[in-house]
Amino acid sequence: MALPGIVSSPLARRRPIASRARAGRSRLTPYIFISPAMLLLIAFGVFPIAVAALVSLTDMNISGLGDWGNVKFIGIANYSKLFADPSFWQALGNTAFFAIIGVPSVVFLSLGVALLLNRSGNWFYRSLRAFYFIPAITAIVAISLVWGYLYNTQFGLLNWLLSLVGVDQVQWLSDPTLAKFSVALVAVWRGTGLNIIIFLAALQGVPNEYLEAASLDGAGEWRKIRSIVIPMLRFAIFFVTVTTVISWLQFFDEAYVLTGGGPLGATTSVSIFLYQQGFQQSQFGYASAGSLILFVLIAVITVAQLRARRADIEY
Amino acid sequence: MSTSLSALRQRSMKRRGRGLSVVIGIALAIGAVITAFPFIWMVATSIKPQAESLNYPPTLLPANPTLEYFHKLFVELDFGRYLGNTVIVVLIGGIGLILMAMAGYAFAKFDFRGKQWMFFLVLATMMIPVQVTMIPTYLILNGMKLTNTLVGIALPTLVSGFSIFLFRQFMSTIPTEMLEAARLDGAGEFRTFLQIVLPLSKPILAVQAVLTFIAGWNSFLWPLIIASDQKLYTLSVGLSLLNKEIAVNPSLQMAAASVMVIPILIVFIVFQRYVIQGFALSGLK
Amino acid sequence: MRILTRVIAPIAIAGLALSLAACSGSSPTAATAKDASGPLTVWVMGDSSTNFQKLVAPFVASSGQKVDVVAIPWDSIDQKLTTSVASGSGPDVVQIGLTKLRSFADAGALLPLDDKISAYPDLASDKFADGVGGAATAVNGKIVSVPWVSDTRVLFYRSDILAESGIAKPPATWDELRSDAKILTERGKGKYGYYIPQWDNALPVEMTWAYGGSVVDSTGKINFDTPAFQSAVDLYTGLYADKSVPINSDFDQTQGFVSGTVPMLVSGPYLAGAINAAAPDLAGKWNITTLPTADKGTSLFGGSNLGIFKSSKHQKGSLKLLDYLSKSSTQLDWYKINGELPTAKAALNTPSFTSDPLVKVYTKQLADAKVLPLIANWDGGVGTNLLKALNSIALTNADPKSTLATFYQSTKGLTAK
Repeated sequence: MALPGIVSSPLARRRPIASRARAGRSRLTPYIFISPAMLLLIAFGVFPIAVAALVSLTDMNISGLGDWGNVKFIGIANYSKLFADPSFWQALGNTAFFAIIGVPSVVFLSLGVALLLNRSGNWFYRSLRAFYFIPAITAIVAISLVWGYLYNTQFGLLNWLLSLVGVDQVQWLSDPTLAKFSVALVAVWRGTGLNIIIFLAALQGVPNEYLEAASLDGAGEWRKIRSIVIPMLRFAIFFVTVTTVISWLQFFDEAYVLTGGGPLGATTSVSIFLYQQGFQQSQFGYASAGSLILFVLIAVITVAQLRARRADIEY
Repeated sequence: MSTSLSALRQRSMKRRGRGLSVVIGIALAIGAVITAFPFIWMVATSIKPQAESLNYPPTLLPANPTLEYFHKLFVELDFGRYLGNTVIVVLIGGIGLILMAMAGYAFAKFDFRGKQWMFFLVLATMMIPVQVTMIPTYLILNGMKLTNTLVGIALPTLVSGFSIFLFRQFMSTIPTEMLEAARLDGAGEFRTFLQIVLPLSKPILAVQAVLTFIAGWNSFLWPLIIASDQKLYTLSVGLSLLNKEIAVNPSLQMAAASVMVIPILIVFIVFQRYVIQGFALSGLK
Repeated sequence: MRILTRVIAPIAIAGLALSLAACSGSSPTAATAKDASGPLTVWVMGDSSTNFQKLVAPFVASSGQKVDVVAIPWDSIDQKLTTSVASGSGPDVVQIGLTKLRSFADAGALLPLDDKISAYPDLASDKFADGVGGAATAVNGKIVSVPWVSDTRVLFYRSDILAESGIAKPPATWDELRSDAKILTERGKGKYGYYIPQWDNALPVEMTWAYGGSVVDSTGKINFDTPAFQSAVDLYTGLYADKSVPINSDFDQTQGFVSGTVPMLVSGPYLAGAINAAAPDLAGKWNITTLPTADKGTSLFGGSNLGIFKSSKHQKGSLKLLDYLSKSSTQLDWYKINGELPTAKAALNTPSFTSDPLVKVYTKQLADAKVLPLIANWDGGVGTNLLKALNSIALTNADPKSTLATFYQSTKGLTAK
C-alpha cells in the first residue's frame, strides 16, 4: 500500500472525476460481488420452494413425473387431506417432541462443555476439544452403523454392559417411547460439536480483566459465569439457539438411518413423513404441501425468535 | 495489612482454582472418552476379523488385529477412486468458499438497492428442508447437462446461507477506513477484495474451509443422485453400497467408515486453533 | 431495475430447463431404429459392480458392445428412480426388484417388450419359471421386463437345538411350528422359538396363502378382508402372544440364528450365505426345508427382473444383453459368482445345479411360489400399512378389529396390474 501522504496532492486534483467514476462503478460493484452466490442460492434454494408451492396444488405422482400430461390441478385438496391425516399430526407431534428435548439439551450441553473447556488453555484441555468435535464430523452413514451396533437389543454393547450389572435387555430402538429418546440422544451427541466450537470462540471475546476484577471483589466461579460470561455470550447463545431450532425442526438423518421412522411411526418426524410420502409412495403433490407447511412453520418460529431478541435489546 | 490479606485470599483462591481445574479436567476427559467412544469402537472393529466382530459378548480390543478389510476396500472395492472423487468435490467446494466470501463482503460493506430482501433470501434458504429441493434441483442440473459430472455433484451445495451469514458477520468488523484507503490508492474493487479483505479474513476462511471440507467430504445425496456412473461415486456412497438388509460384515463396514472419518479428524486437529479464532472474530460474542 | 433482471433471468432460465427436462421426459425418444454407439449402461443393485462386469465379459468380447455397470445401493433406489424418471434420462438396462416393477412401469419408464422379444428365443415367456414368466409379471397386460434372478422363502432351522429339545423333525405345518416354538422358548431366558422380521411384509401374505387364500380378489382388486387373512393374523399375532418371538425390531437374524437365540425362521437364500460367512463351523447343525403349510405351502417368488429404459438409445444392444443374461449357462454362472438363483427353467432344472441339497429345497419351493401383488408402491404403501396394523396388534395390544378395519379401508380401490 502506498503511503497516503505521498499520493495526497495529485489525488486532490483528480478527486472529482475519480469519485464520479467510482460512484458509477460502486453502484454495480455489490451486485457483481453477490451475484454468483445469489444465483446459486436462488437456483438451488429459493426456486425449488416455488416449484414445491406449485406442485403442492397438483396430484403429481410418479406417472405425472414421467409424463406431465397426467398431472391435474387439484387446488388445496392436498392441504385439507394433510390436516385430516393422523400420520401427519403424529409427525408434527414427534417433531415438537424432538425440538423440545433436543434444543435445550444441545444448547446447555455445548455451553456447559465449552465453559469447562475454556477454564484452561493448557495442552490437555486443548487436546480434549478434538474428542468433543468428533461426532460433528462423522458421516451419517458411519453413525448409523456404529450406533446401530451399540443399541442392538440382543448383541449391542449397551445391553451387554447393562447385563453385567444384571439389568434386563433394554429395547433401545424398539420401544416406541424409548426409541424417541434413543434417536434424540444420537442427534444431541452429533449436534454439540460445532456449537462447542462456536461457544469456545465466543468465550475468547470475554476480556480477562473483567473476570480478574470480579475475583478481586470475591466473586465465586458460578457468580462470575452468571453475571459476566453469560451476558457477554448473549449473541452466541442466540445464534446457536436459532440454528439449533431450525435443525431440530428439520430433524431427519438420525431417525432415518436408525429406525426409518419406526417403531410404529414413533420416530417419524415431519421431514421423514415427507420423505416417505414423496420418495417411497411417490405422492409428490402431497409431500410438497407438507414441506411448504414445514417451511412456513420454521420461518414463523425463526422470525418470532428474531423479534423477541429485538425487543430484548430495546429494554 | 489489607493488601497482604487480599493477596493471601487471592493465593488461596488460586490454589482452590487449580484443584478445581484438575477435577474438571478429569470430568472432561471422561466426557471426552464417552463422546468419542462410538468412534473408538468403530476403529477397533475395523481391524477385527469378521467372525470376531460378530461375537457375543463383544470384545473391545481386537484379539487378532488385521488390516485385511482396508486392503479389500482399496484393492477390490474401488475405494481409492471414491477417495479421489471425494477430494475433487471438496476442492470444487473451495470455489464456493470464495463466492460466499464475496457475497458476505458485499452484504457487510456496501449499501445497495434490494440488499435487505436479498439478505432475507439468504436466511430463508437456511430454513428449507432438503427433501423439498431434491427433484427441482435435479431437473435444473439435468437441464444444464451437468448430471453425471463432478461439477453437478458439487453445485447444489456450493453455497449455503449459513456460511454467507457468517462471512457477513465477520466482514462487518473490518474497518471501512482500510477499504477507503485502498480505494484512494486507486485499487480496483477486486484488488481491494483480494489484497485487503481476504487476508484480513483468514480466520473466518479457516472456519469456512473446515465446514466446507466436512460438508463436501460427507456428501451423500447428490453424488448418489447425480452420478449415473459408478466412477463418480464418493466415499459416502461407496460406504452405503456395503449396507444390506442383513449386516454381514461389520468389520468391512467399519473399515470404510474409518476411512471416511480419520482424514477429517486430522484436518480438524491441524486447523482447530484457527477455527476457534475465526468464530471468535466473527462477532459471535 | 437491474437487480430485477438479474433475479428474474435465472428463474426464467431454470424454468426453461425444467420444461425442457419435462418434455424430454414425456416424449418417448425417437431413437428406435438405429442404435447409438457407445457403451450400454446397466444399473444393478447391491454392493459391487465387479461381479456383474465379470459376468458380461464374454458378451462384451463376442458382440463388441461395451457395457458400463453401475451398482446402486439398495436403500437408495427410490431416489435414483424418481430422479431418472423426472428427467427422462436413465440407464439402458435396469435391474428392478419385483415389488418396484409396477412403479417403474406406471412411470412410463420402461420399454414395452411384447413385440420385441419374439426375435430372441431365450426371452420367450415360457422359458422362465411359471411364477415370474410372461403374464405373471406383466403390467396392464404388457410385458415390460424379463425375469433375472429369483428369490424365495424357506424355513431355516437349527437341527441340533431342535433335537436337544426333543423335536425330531422340522415342523411341517404352521400349527406344528407354533407348538414347537413354544417348546423351544422354554429353553430359558432370552431364548425364543421363532423369529418374525418386523420389516418383512411378505410373511403375512405367505401365511394367507398357506390358509388357501389370496390378497387379490377375482376382479384383480386388493382384498385383505377374507377368512384366510384372518387366520394369518391369528397365527402372526398368536406367535407373539405365545411369547415365542423376540419383540425388538432390530433383531439381527444372522447373529440370532448362529447364536441359537432363534433356532427357526423363514428367510431367503441370502441368509444361507450369511451363515456360512459368519459361522462356517456351524455346518451340519442347521438345515432348510420348504415352508410350513396349513392348506397349502405356497411361498414368495421374489427376486428381480431386468427392464429397458424407454429413453435408451441402445434398444437393440440392450435386448441382446437381456438375451445373453437369460441363457441358462449365464444364469448358472451368476449363481456361482454371486449366489443368486436363476429364473430360466433350463437353469433351474440343470442336474449339476440341483444336486446341491440347499438348491434342491429352493427349486422345490420355487415350483410352488407366487409373486406379491403387482401394485404401485407395495413396500411403501400396502406393505407398510399391513405391517403397521399387525405389529400394533401384536406389540402394543391395539384393538384388532378396529385396527384391521382401518387397514382394509386403506387398501380400498387398489388394483393389481
